[in-house]
Amino acid sequence: MKVKIKQWNGVASWLWVANDENCGICRMPFNGCCPDCKVPGDDCPLVWGQCSHCFHMHCILKWLNSQQVQQQCPMCRQEWKFKE
Amino acid sequence: MEESVMESDPVEMSGPGPHQGVADAWETVTAALVSPGNSLSEQSLSDSLSLLCSQGLGQLLGDWLLETLQMRLSSFVVPEFWSGLKQPENELEERDRIWVLLFAFRTLLERLEPFLGGLDRLRMWQDEGRGGLCVPGAKVLQERAFTVIRALLLFSPSPVLQERVLEFYSRTLSVYMHQEGGDEDGPEVPEVPEGGVCLGCGVPTHHCWCQEALKQLQELSHILSKLQLLEWVSSEAVTSILHKLIEQRMEQHCRGEYERSFLLEFQEWLELVLGWLSKVFASEADGATSAAEVSMTLSAPSGLSSQAGQPASSILKQWRCYMHQFFCRIYVNMRIEELFSIIRDFPESKAAIEDLKFCLERTNQRQQLLTSLKSAFESRLLHPGVHTSDILTVYISAIKALRELDPSMVILQVACQPIRKYLRTREDTVRQIVAGLTGDAEGCTDLASELSRGDPVTLEMQDSDEEGNNPEDWTPDPTDAVPDKMGSKRRSSDIISLLVSIYGSKDIFIDEYRAVLADRLLHQLNYNTAREIRNVELLKLRFGESHMHYCEVMLKDMADSRRINSNIREEESRLSDEEQPPLSLSAIILSSEFWPPLKEEKLELPPLICQAMEAYTHRYEKLKAMRTLSWKPHLGSVTLDVELEDRVLTNLTVSPIHAAIILHFQEKSSWTLEELSGKLGAPKELVHRKLALWQQHGVLREEAGGRYYVVETGSSKEKLERGMMLIDSDEERDSNTTTQSEQREEKLQLFWAYIQAMLTNLDSMTLDRIHSMLRMFVATGPVVTEMDVNELEAFLQKKVREHQLMVSAGVYRLPKSN
Repeated sequence: MKVKIKQWNGVASWLWVANDENCGICRMPFNGCCPDCKVPGDDCPLVWGQCSHCFHMHCILKWLNSQQVQQQCPMCRQEWKFKE
Repeated sequence: MEESVMESDPVEMSGPGPHQGVADAWETVTAALVSPGNSLSEQSLSDSLSLLCSQGLGQLLGDWLLETLQMRLSSFVVPEFWSGLKQPENELEERDRIWVLLFAFRTLLERLEPFLGGLDRLRMWQDEGRGGLCVPGAKVLQERAFTVIRALLLFSPSPVLQERVLEFYSRTLSVYMHQEGGDEDGPEVPEVPEGGVCLGCGVPTHHCWCQEALKQLQELSHILSKLQLLEWVSSEAVTSILHKLIEQRMEQHCRGEYERSFLLEFQEWLELVLGWLSKVFASEADGATSAAEVSMTLSAPSGLSSQAGQPASSILKQWRCYMHQFFCRIYVNMRIEELFSIIRDFPESKAAIEDLKFCLERTNQRQQLLTSLKSAFESRLLHPGVHTSDILTVYISAIKALRELDPSMVILQVACQPIRKYLRTREDTVRQIVAGLTGDAEGCTDLASELSRGDPVTLEMQDSDEEGNNPEDWTPDPTDAVPDKMGSKRRSSDIISLLVSIYGSKDIFIDEYRAVLADRLLHQLNYNTAREIRNVELLKLRFGESHMHYCEVMLKDMADSRRINSNIREEESRLSDEEQPPLSLSAIILSSEFWPPLKEEKLELPPLICQAMEAYTHRYEKLKAMRTLSWKPHLGSVTLDVELEDRVLTNLTVSPIHAAIILHFQEKSSWTLEELSGKLGAPKELVHRKLALWQQHGVLREEAGGRYYVVETGSSKEKLERGMMLIDSDEERDSNTTTQSEQREEKLQLFWAYIQAMLTNLDSMTLDRIHSMLRMFVATGPVVTEMDVNELEAFLQKKVREHQLMVSAGVYRLPKSN
């Protein structure tokens, strides 16, 4: 007997490679989106800081904009620098 | 009256002289009153009258006349009438019976004629002022006379009179209807063949006595109206005849026939019957009535209270009203009985509904309709033998039909309460409604078309009190409306909102729709979502943008997946031939947070597939930075060919587990269930069920010891056996999403943690307390769900049965840990 597979339609779900499940700012799942967004994924990406904490991009930008003096990571209070 | 007679006697008897003259005059006058044929000269009559009047005896004449009438009636006329009516005890022909009836009345009239004439003359004399005669209240006297006749005659009527009258009237009606109906059909009454039966009088044509019957009817009516007995003798018979007739006709014409309106037809027919009625009642105004009476009716038609004095037309008018009333009532009764069928047949039965609406407004039978319809629903619809989709279909028809019948929607609301309550207890209600909405369900296509109908009333809209209606158009609710806080404004007639509101919340529907949508999308082979997009758009109009947001993301995932797939394909095509992937793999990539929870099943795919998936994942990771894929190995679909020694099965589309099974058989031609199950990492029962598909296709065969073998060479014998295997197959399309109840169960488990914690801290709590506490906590918790007290109670009861909880006197507590 020989089985020839012509087409395999699989199902998968995508997920961010992050060390946490929820965004530390909005507490929403990373695989979802920030409260201001409707569509997850490309439209609501994650960003990582050098301290290795990550957030929804929109969330951390909002946070950084609200900080007048120093730009700190909301989790570890280190200076926030985007990881390249 | 008695006294006055006693007084008059001594006057007559008291010897000669002027008294003798008075007595003679009395004789003359009384004789002239009751027997006008006398050769008495006008002069002597006038003389006698003036003599009597001068003696003050004029007033007694009236009393005397009444007294004599009464004596004569009770002693002779009435017994004669009744015995005449009953006289022929033996069986008689119908015609003879009618003859007897008529004869009895004729005799009655003959006997009473002198007195009636006397009354007339008395009044005439008075009007002429003969001899200064003054009888007070002559008109009253006449009325009294008729009252006496009625009272004595009908004091103890024998049923035979009613029977005879009924029979006679029925006959003349059928004669009349036959003649008139015949005239309607054509100018000539259709020729009945020789020896046939006349449809009017029911005897062979050459004996037809139709004309005779009509004449007899006229005569009887004359006699009765003269004696002012018409109303008393005829009404009952006429009423019952009409009732029977309308009922009969309705049974024949209308029962089971809903597609035609009968109002006009019956109207015409009733007019025809009215023609007969006019024959029964109208003789009054004919020449038969005395001139005096005619003048009386003409001069003071409205001032008279007596029935007989009324013009015939007003009696007829009354009867017309009665008849319409009968008709409406009988019609409504019949339709109420049939309402369930009418609703089932809607919209074909629209005519019947409109007729019913017209008649129902004229009879006070709404309550009856409600009770009957409710019980019809309960006995014919709301039992376990009826499929949910059928209940929904009837409910939808009922909504449509009842909103025609009662624009205030009260009937709809009240009568359909049992259906809504019942549907709430069915597990698959939501699924059926959603299937109907998306046009999947067989049978109820109404919902899909209702959904796509223009101008949908959104659910959002109805929440607002603002309605552009003119306040002048406001009408109060009917009295049988259920008093609720909703008020008439909110009593919706929109089918979809009514269905959705069965559960009181639309979230449950949207969740269900998500599950259905997920199923449909995952079973797609291509990424064609046009139809789903349309449905989602339509639902968005109904439920509002925000509620359908998840569904939109799901649809977007499909489009994204397609793009990613073609990207990856393109990349693959650039590879050299050796590097080409061994199988073509495409993927639907989900945003897990937005899809309904998918069933978790363990399945280990053959290494070949796993490698392909890994490769796909790598390409994805390159495409989308910092993201990876988590495969759901058991979901999806596989198209494959199976090549056997003597035959090839091409283009089979199976689920991944089916494919995995058959791939394993490629390496080794026989497996036991245990081995397979171990290899696939799936439970034995599941593998066993899935094997059935290949057995059905005749690729695999089970042999003793639970081993499965590949059937390389198929024989016809095995094909026969395959047919038998059908029963065992697993054809039912599995849902990929967890069912409603499973999800529910999960949520309840979450509550359990809360409840345990509460009871540990607070020792004991009542049901209500637990419920309110839960509402408080869970509203802020991860799962917002509506849960009513009953559901919670059922859940707690379950825990009690499992000995995880104790209850006494309505207070729950945790069992003491030992």
